[in-house]
Amino acid sequence: MLLAAFEFPHIDELFRWKGLFFGDTAYEINKTSLLVLISSVMILLIFVGGSRRMRLIPTKLQSILEMTFEFIDHGITRDVVGKDAGRFTPFLGSLFLFILFLNFWEIVPFIQFPPTARFAIPLYLALQTYFIYWYLGFRHNGYRYLTGHLFPAGVPKALYILVTPIELVQIVIVRPFSLAVRLLANMMAGHILLTALALLTAYALENAPIIAIGPFLLNVGVTGFELLVGFLQAYIFTLLTAVYIADSIHPDH
Amino acid sequence: MNVVFAALLVSENANDGVKASNPILPETTEIVWSVVAFVLVFAVLAWKAWPAISKSLSDREAKIRADLDAAEGARVEAESSLETYKQQLADARGDAGRIIDEARQAADDVRRELIARAEADAADLRTRAQEDIRQATERAMVDLQARLADLSIELAQRIVERNLDRDTQIALIESYINEVASTQK
Repeated sequence: MLLAAFEFPHIDELFRWKGLFFGDTAYEINKTSLLVLISSVMILLIFVGGSRRMRLIPTKLQSILEMTFEFIDHGITRDVVGKDAGRFTPFLGSLFLFILFLNFWEIVPFIQFPPTARFAIPLYLALQTYFIYWYLGFRHNGYRYLTGHLFPAGVPKALYILVTPIELVQIVIVRPFSLAVRLLANMMAGHILLTALALLTAYALENAPIIAIGPFLLNVGVTGFELLVGFLQAYIFTLLTAVYIADSIHPDH
Repeated sequence: MNVVFAALLVSENANDGVKASNPILPETTEIVWSVVAFVLVFAVLAWKAWPAISKSLSDREAKIRADLDAAEGARVEAESSLETYKQQLADARGDAGRIIDEARQAADDVRRELIARAEADAADLRTRAQEDIRQATERAMVDLQARLADLSIELAQRIVERNLDRDTQIALIESYINEVASTQK
């Protein structure tokens, strides 16, 4: 009864933003683009500024920077791609930080919108990963990179009828699509959920304040959960990118 | 690209009846700024931040490794020094024991020598005393003999001078004997 009158705003109101600068041009800046640019500046300020004067006994900020580097370099690059794959750490580290900072806008008060909930960003990052692992695959293995996937060793030739199309679809479509959609869907769902709970709380406060505590507490809990989701999605995206790079360099593994 | 996605995902906005593109469609401007932002982040971090952080970690690792090596060297040296000191202490204790034994031996030698000398002195003293006694005895005997001779002569003179009866002779002899006895004492 009470909720019957509640109207959820149109989905466009949650995700589409008016242009703020350079309106109606290819380089128009809306809320999403602005947050992307602010995130980049924040990352650069923290990491470039924090790493200017590195000390033997680290400061708190230096410790955080070093822990982040170790997390990427040891936890992802060298563990997944290979011991001698340190050259990929700058790319994977930048990718992780970029997604992480964008995801965390979801729980920043008065902003509460993750730019990664717009398909443009996950799509770009997934296509970037896609082209990188194809490039590395052909550079390191030539055409064996493709044939090795399409005709895996040890599989009876008769099964190639099944395996080859599956592998083709997987390496050409499923990998980039799943990479992009996983990040998009998680952040979009979190954003919709938080918005719905916030609107429900506001609606209940106006009409039946006593029940507002329910959606409010749930909103607080989901906000904490989204913090975890934001980190996890950044980690998963980076980890899968590392897995695909490792597969393109060492396809036999 | 937008055209392709729009064709697949175009949706109807129920509120105003105007066709609106699906909210998950990628906006070209957002892709452009994402590319700019990510390339900027990647380039600057790869140029400035990651090498500095990596170098800092490598330097600290090298410092810790050097310190550990130095500590290991110091520990080995300390153990060696301790071993040397223990050896020197054992040698010193051996030397001290040997010196004490030698001192004890020397003291025993001195004691034995002193005792021997004292015994020799005592024996010498005893010998000399015995010699003195013997000489004194001899002198006494000589004196006694001389005295006895004198008395005998004196007695004979008295006997010759007087005609003595038996009782007088006996009394004279006894008197003589007593006189000799008192002389010997």
